[in-house]
Amino acid sequence: MKVIMSLLFFDMAFWFYLATMILYFGYWVLKKEWLGQASTVLAIISTFAISMMLISRTMEAGHAPFSNLYESMTFFVWIISIAYLYMEFRYKIKVVGAFVMLIAFAAMLATSNLPYRYQDIQPLNPALQSIWFELHVFSAFIGYAGFGLAFGMAVIYLIKARFEERKISHFLIDRLPSSAMLDELSYKSVAWGFVFFTLGALILGAVWANKAWGTYWSWDPKETWSLITWFVYAAYLHARVTRGWRGKKAAYVAIFGFLSTVFLYWGVSFVLPGLHAYA
Amino acid sequence: MATSTASDKISIYKVVGSKIWGFFGSLKLTLFILFTLAIVSVIGTIIQQNQPPEFYITGYGNWGSFVLRLGLEDMYHAGWFTAFLIFLILNIIVCTIDRFPPKWKATLESRADVDIRFIKNLLNNHTVVLEEEPALVKERLLKILHKRRYKIKEANNTESMSMYAWKGVTGRFGSDITHVSLLLILLGAILGSVLGFKDFGTFYEGEGATISVANFQFGVDKSWYGIPLPKIDRQRIASDIQLRLDKFWIDYYDTGQIKQYNSILTLSEGGKEVIKERHIWVNAPLNYKGLTFYQSSYGLAYNRVKQAEFFLRDAKTKKTIVPPFQINWNVPYDIPGTDYRITVVGFVSDFAFDPNTKTIYPKSAEHNNPAIQVEIYKNGKPLSRPWLFYNYVDLFAAIPDSNYELIFQTYKGIVYTGLNINKDPGTNVVWAGAALMVIGFFMAFFIFHKRIWVNVKRNDRKTEVYIGGMINKNKFVFERELSEIAESLKASASKGVK
Repeated sequence: MKVIMSLLFFDMAFWFYLATMILYFGYWVLKKEWLGQASTVLAIISTFAISMMLISRTMEAGHAPFSNLYESMTFFVWIISIAYLYMEFRYKIKVVGAFVMLIAFAAMLATSNLPYRYQDIQPLNPALQSIWFELHVFSAFIGYAGFGLAFGMAVIYLIKARFEERKISHFLIDRLPSSAMLDELSYKSVAWGFVFFTLGALILGAVWANKAWGTYWSWDPKETWSLITWFVYAAYLHARVTRGWRGKKAAYVAIFGFLSTVFLYWGVSFVLPGLHAYA
Repeated sequence: MATSTASDKISIYKVVGSKIWGFFGSLKLTLFILFTLAIVSVIGTIIQQNQPPEFYITGYGNWGSFVLRLGLEDMYHAGWFTAFLIFLILNIIVCTIDRFPPKWKATLESRADVDIRFIKNLLNNHTVVLEEEPALVKERLLKILHKRRYKIKEANNTESMSMYAWKGVTGRFGSDITHVSLLLILLGAILGSVLGFKDFGTFYEGEGATISVANFQFGVDKSWYGIPLPKIDRQRIASDIQLRLDKFWIDYYDTGQIKQYNSILTLSEGGKEVIKERHIWVNAPLNYKGLTFYQSSYGLAYNRVKQAEFFLRDAKTKKTIVPPFQINWNVPYDIPGTDYRITVVGFVSDFAFDPNTKTIYPKSAEHNNPAIQVEIYKNGKPLSRPWLFYNYVDLFAAIPDSNYELIFQTYKGIVYTGLNINKDPGTNVVWAGAALMVIGFFMAFFIFHKRIWVNVKRNDRKTEVYIGGMINKNKFVFERELSEIAESLKASASKGVK
């Protein structure tokens, strides 16, 4: 099948994301207003390019673009970009963009280094031909993106909180949002992520599994790892209302949760055999 | 004396009881259980589950017996794993009982009559000083709050006017609904594991089979210290439901990859057809009276064929004498232009010979070395019963006392479909729990309980407005909302003056 346009848009988006990341870092270091505006504009252009990649891929393949790692990673970048742009617009926190675009570009880099066969369009195998497959992946990836954002916020939170505690001033750290704000944003990202992850990965996944395999839960490694990830984020949400677990400890749980998410997404596919072998 | 010991005993029970209650009601236990479940679940993804015991003994060496003793080979059903889930359930129940009633009370209570000190003690508060009369200010404030969809309760006393505005109370109960939904999901899972069953069957095209179902007998078990416990006996019995596979086929893409597995099924109950020629495929199962039939696998029969193709050739010159002809299983066929009649009587998908019993049997269900047995008659008299090989056509091909060779060219196998036949009466309970969970999440995460108190006071030809508020989460957005309310109160005042 022809896969020219989507590869072209992917390459375009790759360089746009690299430039966006550099601009956001430049804005953080130099604090020039025009750099900030330019980064936002470039972030929008990058998101547009990745949208075009997904649209052309859908047209070339004839099905939703998340049937393998190459497609789903691109989709992850798309969602995290949109979520970030919304956050920037709503909370006016541009400096954080450097870290988010670092995550987005890292995802693009990882995707471009996938074995070549992933770029090819594969027709859907019998189990994947279901509307539940599309809903399942779509919602689960909103969850992944939320967890990714929360991870970024938690890392910055730990840096910022350390400087605040010791009352050390550094111009780069001072430009970051307050630790209270970062904690709140990390929580909000987990909240959004958790809702869509539960709905997509667990519930819609169970509905689909029940249709295709005849059982809504079979302790397959991918299922189990999504439950492990769910436990970690459930712990995060409970930790935040427990005295003595707020702040730093909760931030560590958010980081740990994202590591679990990354393993759930990449590790399980490559390391542990199971029913989810294709994704 | 006697009475005091009795009350001592009661107080000991009380102390111990409240200790246990406190243990199950603590958030620390929640965190402990969640982290423990996360960590131990990892083990089950590393150690392969549900393999025969030899697998662990040979594969894990000294650790093998350790794995088996802890039940790690079927970890998610091991007693200690279930115990963790029971702890989680108790934790949820006790926490909900502990926290729900005071929360319910607190949200119902709405004090509108508050003084300035109360407002100034709130985390977020603003003071706005205006020229207008208090009545006018109040009217505008009500308008602003109504526009933002707040519900309002007013209170008047001699020196000032105060009010309480709130919205999003339901958000407070999102966590409780989520907890109840989790219990519902676990209940559904228990129902399924007790009352459901999973079965697998293979069905040949054109043939039917009786479906066996699980039968339950409820009784009382007193084997554990004489304590009567409920007991459920499960037996498999034949139902009066019959399944027939009408057709099985595979759809392919142009590239040759498999697109879909399809079966056409007919169900009859008590000899009457209740479902006729229903098309099922992966992702589209058939439901009938709580039974679900899923397309799971397929294959070719290992001991029969539908049709086989032969031809006759000269043993020396290898020239074809009778061109290829097809014959059906077990149907005699007269080879045209000869005195021979042949019948296909046997087939094995993977030929093997047992020298002890001198029998031929299929080594596997794979079609690795297909062989077919034919009976050859000459002028109506049985002549021989050779096995002919698909992969080695020359072997035993010669017809005795003749110049002919019978060549087994190809065959059409009989396809069967592999169906999972399940019954799980807990599924709908699980779905109800899942739906409730999503509702609970949206309430907990996206509806915020916002509370605002206002005190309006006339002071020396000026009107002082004290606005303060609280939110259960989402502090920053609320902080902004509160200053927006204060700002719009000022802004509309300046407009009014002009």
